[in-house]
Amino acid sequence: MTEASKPPPPASSPETIPSVAARLAFYQRAGGVITPLLTAVVAFFIAGLVILVTTHKNPLSTYRAIFDGTGLNWFFHVGSHSIGLPFSDSRVWFPWDTGSAAAMNLQQTLIVVTPLILTGLAVAFAFRCGLFNIGGNGQYTVGAVVAVQFGIWFAGLPGPLHVLLAMAAATVAGAMWAGIAGLLKATVGAHEVITTIMLNWIALWIASYLVGFGGPMQDPRQISAPVTRQIAESAKLKIFWGNALLQGLHIGIVIAIFALFVYWIVLNRTTLGYEVKAVGFNPEAARYGGISVARNYFLAMAISGAFAGLAGAIDILGWEFNLDLTEVQSVQIGFIGIAVALLGRNTAVGVFLSAILFGALLTGTSTRNLDPTIFKPELAGNLTRIIQGLVVLFVGADLIILYLWQARRKLPFARKADQR
Amino acid sequence: MIARAEGFEPRTVLARITSPRMVGIVGIALGVIAFWLALPPVTVRSAPAPIALGILAVAAGIWAFARGERHVGGGAAVAGVVGIVGALVTMQSTTANLKDVFVWSALAAATLRYATPLTFAAIGGMFSERSGVVNIGLEGMMLMGAFFGAWGADKTGSWVGGLAFGIAAGGALALVHAVFSIHLRADQIVSGTAVNFLALGITGYIYNDVYGNNGTPNDLPAIPDVNIGFLDSIPPHALGNFLDGAFGSLNLMIWIALALLPVSYVVMFRTAVGLRIRSVGEHPRAADTVGISVYGTRYAAVTLSGMLAAMGGVFLSLGFVNSFTENMTAGRGFIALAALIFGGWRPFGAFAACVLFGFSSALAQRLPDLSTSESAAWPVLFQTLPYVLTLIAVAGIIGRSIPPAAVGRPYKKQ
Amino acid sequence: MVDDERPVLELRGITKRFPGVLANDHVDFDLRRREVHALLGENGAGKSTLMNVLYGLYSPDEGEIRIKGDPVRMRSPKDAIDHGIGMVHQHFMLIPVMTVAENIVLGNEPLDAGVLLDYGAARKRVEELARTFGFRIDPDARVEAITVGQQQRVEILKALYRGAEILILDEPTAVLTPQEALELFEILRTLVREGMSIIFISHKLGEVLEIADRITVLRRGKAVDTVPRAGATEEGLARMMVGREVLLRVEKAAAQPTDPALRVEDIRVLDDRRLEAVRGVSFEVRRGEIVGIAGVDGNGQSELIDALSGLRHPTSGKVRLGDRDVTGASAGQILDLGLGHIPEDRQRRGLVLDFTLAENIALHDFDRPPNSRFGWLFPKRMIRRAQGLLRQFDVRGGGAQTRAAALSGGNQQKVVLAREMARDPKLLIAAQPTRGLDVGAIEFVHRRLVEARDGGEAVLLVSLELDEILSLSDRILVLYEGRVVAEHGPDVTEEELGIEMTGGRGKEAVA
Repeated sequence: MTEASKPPPPASSPETIPSVAARLAFYQRAGGVITPLLTAVVAFFIAGLVILVTTHKNPLSTYRAIFDGTGLNWFFHVGSHSIGLPFSDSRVWFPWDTGSAAAMNLQQTLIVVTPLILTGLAVAFAFRCGLFNIGGNGQYTVGAVVAVQFGIWFAGLPGPLHVLLAMAAATVAGAMWAGIAGLLKATVGAHEVITTIMLNWIALWIASYLVGFGGPMQDPRQISAPVTRQIAESAKLKIFWGNALLQGLHIGIVIAIFALFVYWIVLNRTTLGYEVKAVGFNPEAARYGGISVARNYFLAMAISGAFAGLAGAIDILGWEFNLDLTEVQSVQIGFIGIAVALLGRNTAVGVFLSAILFGALLTGTSTRNLDPTIFKPELAGNLTRIIQGLVVLFVGADLIILYLWQARRKLPFARKADQR
Repeated sequence: MIARAEGFEPRTVLARITSPRMVGIVGIALGVIAFWLALPPVTVRSAPAPIALGILAVAAGIWAFARGERHVGGGAAVAGVVGIVGALVTMQSTTANLKDVFVWSALAAATLRYATPLTFAAIGGMFSERSGVVNIGLEGMMLMGAFFGAWGADKTGSWVGGLAFGIAAGGALALVHAVFSIHLRADQIVSGTAVNFLALGITGYIYNDVYGNNGTPNDLPAIPDVNIGFLDSIPPHALGNFLDGAFGSLNLMIWIALALLPVSYVVMFRTAVGLRIRSVGEHPRAADTVGISVYGTRYAAVTLSGMLAAMGGVFLSLGFVNSFTENMTAGRGFIALAALIFGGWRPFGAFAACVLFGFSSALAQRLPDLSTSESAAWPVLFQTLPYVLTLIAVAGIIGRSIPPAAVGRPYKKQ
Repeated sequence: MVDDERPVLELRGITKRFPGVLANDHVDFDLRRREVHALLGENGAGKSTLMNVLYGLYSPDEGEIRIKGDPVRMRSPKDAIDHGIGMVHQHFMLIPVMTVAENIVLGNEPLDAGVLLDYGAARKRVEELARTFGFRIDPDARVEAITVGQQQRVEILKALYRGAEILILDEPTAVLTPQEALELFEILRTLVREGMSIIFISHKLGEVLEIADRITVLRRGKAVDTVPRAGATEEGLARMMVGREVLLRVEKAAAQPTDPALRVEDIRVLDDRRLEAVRGVSFEVRRGEIVGIAGVDGNGQSELIDALSGLRHPTSGKVRLGDRDVTGASAGQILDLGLGHIPEDRQRRGLVLDFTLAENIALHDFDRPPNSRFGWLFPKRMIRRAQGLLRQFDVRGGGAQTRAAALSGGNQQKVVLAREMARDPKLLIAAQPTRGLDVGAIEFVHRRLVEARDGGEAVLLVSLELDEILSLSDRILVLYEGRVVAEHGPDVTEEELGIEMTGGRGKEAVA
C-alpha cells in the first residue's frame, strides 16, 4: 500500500456492517483452522467445568468414556487385520480390525455424521448468500416424509432407480419448503429467520398429522402405533460396512461426501456460486452490478433446503426405513447443522470436520454407548446442547477472534479489516 | 428540497364510500362474517350463505388490490378464503360439538391464558428491539424462566420464590446475550440462537439431574388465581355469564401482564428514559454524542427483556400447567417476536397480535372435540395455525411495519 | 469584535495516531472569544480528527487542552459539553423519526414529576432559544420532514440548549446551497455578537475567506500556519493546503459531439417514499461530450441515475440508450446494452470488498465467455484479464488476487473505473466519482473521463462539487426539485449555477 490508510471517520459515512458471510470469511482468513479449534476447545473446557461442578466427576474420564463410545478410538488400535476387496472375494492386509466393537461404534457415528454433513452444508450455503437458514429441521422432515412415501410407492422399480427417485423427490421437496422462505424474502423482504422457524413448526405438525393416529400415512396394520409403513426393499441404501442386521454403515456417507464436493464446486467454479457469494458479501454492489439479488435469495434458500431434504431422505432410506410420531417430534438435526456450519466457517472442509465432531458427540453420549455409571446419558445429551450453544456463541463474537488475530501479527492489517 | 406529493383533493362522501380502501375493508368484514355465521349462536348449516359472502370478500379484495390498495385488498382476499374454509370445516361437525367448542367465555379465558406468556415476551422484546438489539433468544429466556421458576418454587416452597428465581435466570441468560451482542459485537441473531441452545441444554441438564425420570412434583406451588365474585351479577344475564366465565378466575400473572401494557406504553413513549431507549435504537451515534450511554442503555434493555420473557415462562410452569417438561415453551418465544413485529413494536399492537395468536392456540386445543369421528387426525393441523398466521403477518400481507432504524447493528465506539 | 485577551481555548501539541497514519502531529491551535477561526485543509489533513479530540470522541496520544487557561481532560462528549463546547457534525446527529424538540432536549430532558417527559417545557425552551438567535424553527416538526438547512439549525440549537460557548462546525456548507450558506453565515455572525466563539472547519477557500477572522491551515496532520484574514489570498491558502501549485481546471480540447447515446424523454421517477423525485426531465447526451448535472444533494439526482441504470423504473416517460428503448429494463439488461456506471459509493455499491480484484472486475461479465461457459467459471481467465486492466489503470496496493478491501480509496476507485471503462460503454455515468479521493487520484479520474469523451464515449457526470462540474463538463444541466431548470455551456459562473440550484432566476421549467 503506497498511501496511508485514513483514520476511521466519525460518521462521515454510515458504517457498513459486514454481513455474516463477510465476517465468517474474515474469521477464516484471520484464524485459519486455529480459531475453530480454539473455539471447540474452550467450549469443551467450559462443559468440563459444568461436569466437575455438578457431578464432581472427572471431566477427562467422562470425555474419555464419550470418546470411546464414538468409535473414533478405532483408529488408535492399529494391528494386523484383513479387509475384503469390493466386488471380489479376496482379502488384503489392513491395519484396523473392521469387526471390532469400536468399529461398530464408528459405524454408528458415521451414520449420524452423514445427515449432519448435509444439514451443515444447508446452513453453510445459505450463509454464503447472507441468509440464516434455521429451517433445517423442517426441510429435513419434509424430505423424510417424501422419501418414505416414495419408498413405499414404486416398489417394483430396480434398486438404484428407486433409491435415486426417492432421493430426488425428497431433495426437491426440501428445496421447495425452503423456497417458500426464499420467495418471501425475495419478494416482500420477510426475514428468513422468522419464516424458516415458522416453517419448522408447520412442517412438524403437518408431518405429525400425516404419520400420527388416523393419519393418511399411518400403517393400517398397526393402528395402535403412530408409525408409517416400511419402505420397499428396493429403496433401501446398501450397507457396505458392518452387519445389515445390526445397522451397519450405508452408502449414504458416500453421498454426503460427494455433496461436500458439489458444494465446493458450485461455490467456486460456477457462475451461480459467484452470484451467491457476491450477494452474500454485498447485496448493494451486486445489485448495482446487475445481479438479481431476489433471484439469488430464492435460489440460495432452495439449494440450502435441497441439502437438508436430502439429509432426511438418506436417514430414511439408510436406516430408519419408516417414520414415526416420536421421531418427527424430536428432530434436532437442523439446529445442530447450524453449529456445524458456523464452527466449520461455511467451508466444505470445515463442515466435514465439524460434522464429525458433533456426530461423535451425539453417538458418544447416547444411551447405547455411554455407560450410565460413568455419566448419565440424558445429562450428556444436554451437555452436548450446551457445547453446541457455546460454539455458536463464540463464533458470533468478532472481538475474541480479533484479539487473537492481533496478537499474532500485522496490527495495521487487522485494524483495516476492522474498519470494514 | 425534494418535491412533495400533490395536496389532497377534497373528497365527497360518495367518493369515500366507494374508494378502493373502503371496499377492501368491507371485504375483510365480509370474510369474518362468513366464518362467524357458521359458529354458535347463529350456526348456519347450509353452505351457500358463507360461501357467497366469502366470494364477495375475495372479490372485494381483488377490486381493492387492483386499485392500488394492496394491503387491504390482500387482507380481504385472505379473509374471504379463510372464511369459506373455516365455515365449511365447522359445518362438518355437529351443532352440539360446536356449542362445546365455542363456549365463548371459556374460549376468551383460554385465549388470555395462551396470550399471556406471549405478551410478557413480546413486551420484553419491545424494549430490547427498541434499543437496537434483536432478541431471538426470547425463547430460551422464557424456557429458563419456566424451569427455574418451577425449581425455585420447589426449593423455596413458594411461588414468589419461584418467580424470583425464574426472573433472575432469564435476566442472567439475557446478560450473556447482551455481552456478546453489545460488547463483543457478535451477530445478534447468531448470539440469540446460541442462547436458545444454551437454555435448552442448561434447563434439560439440571432438570434431568434433579428430577430425572419422575418429573417435577405434583404439588408445585402454583401462582394463585384472582377470583372476582361479582361479575356474574352484572345485568344482563348473558353478559354477566360471559364476563364471569372469561374474567372471573384468571391467574394473577394474566392480570399483571394486562397491567404491564399501559405501564410499558408510558415508559416507552412518555418518559425521558423511553426517549433515550428509542434514540439508542434509531441513531446510536447521535445518542452517544449527547452523552447517553449506548452500551448501558442496551444492556439494561436486553436484561429487562430477558426478565420479562422469563416471567412469561414462569407463568407457563407455575400458573398454567403446573409442571415443567423439557422444551415446554415450544416456539412461543418466536411467536412473541412475530407478534411484536406484527404490532409495530408498540405494546398494544403487540398485545392485539398476542391475543390473535392466543385465540388460535385456544381453538386448536379445543378442536379435537369438534370432530365427529373417533380417530380423525386432521384437528392436529390446527396446531399450525399460529405459525401460519405469523408467516402471513411477517410476509407483510396485512401491512408492513418499520423497525427501529439501527436494530440489529452492533455499535462501535471510537 | 474579537476579544484580545487570553484565548478561550488552547490546543497544544495535540498528537493522535491511528494504525498506519499520524492524523495529528503536534498541532497547536487556539481560539479567542468572539472569534470565527477557520480550520482549513484537504480531505485527510486531520481537521476532523483534531476536533474529535477536542470534543472527547478520541483521546490524544500527546498534548493538552486548556479551556480559559485551565487544562482539562476530555474523556467523552459529555465532558466537552460540560465545558461549554458544542459540535455540529458534518453528518447530522439527528434522529429522523423524532421531533425537533425531542432531538434538542435528548439527554437533558425537562422532567415532569421526576419521570415523565415534559414535552411542553421542551417546546417552550426551543422556541425561546430560536427567538434569541434569530431563526425560525417548528419544534413539533419531525426531523425527517424538514430541509437540510433547517436540520443544521436544529443541530446548532442542540449545542446552544446545552449552554455551549464554543461552537465547532464541521464542513457545514457541504450540504447547503450557496444561498443557505449565506444564511448560515448570518447566523454565525449573530452568535458571535452574542458572545460565542466559533471553529469553522472547511476545505472551501472562498467561504473561509468570507467568514473567518483567522485561518489555520492543516496539511497531512501538521499545522502549517495560522494567518489573519486580512492579507490572505486563495492562491496563498491553496498553496499552504497542498504544498504545490494547484491545477484548478483540467486541460482539455474542445468537445466534438456526434450522435446521441442517451435520450431521456420526460421521465418521472418516484423516490423511496413514493414521492416524485424526478418530475418530467428531458435531455440527451451525445457521444464525445461530457454532460454535467449540477444540483444540491437531494434534488432528484440519485433517483435520476437509478432510473437510467435500471435500478428504478420511471413511472412515465422514455429512456433510450443508442436506439434501444430501455425504459423499465433491469440493471443487468441495461449494463449489457452498453452502459457503464461508476456508482456513488464505491465501497457499498461499486465493489464487493471481500472479492478479489479479479472477481470485482468480472462483476458484469462473469456469466459469459471467456470468464465462464454454460455456468462453469474459469478463474484463471478472470485473473489474466484483470491483470492487464490493473496495469493499464495503474492500480497499486495489490494484484489481481488481492482482496479489494486491502486497497486505498483512490485505488479502489481506479478498479471501478477500469471495470466500467474497459467495456467500452456507449454511455458512462459517473456519480460523485472523486468523493473522498486525494488530489492525485482526482486528477487521474478526471483525465480518464476526458479520455473517454475524446474516445467517442458519452459521459454523464453527476457531482455535488461545482468545481468538478465546471472543469469537466461540455454542457451543464441544473437539477432543482426534480426538474432541469437551466442548461449552460462550460463558461457559466458558480454564482449563476448556485442561484439556479436553489430555484432562483433562470429558465424555470413549466410547472
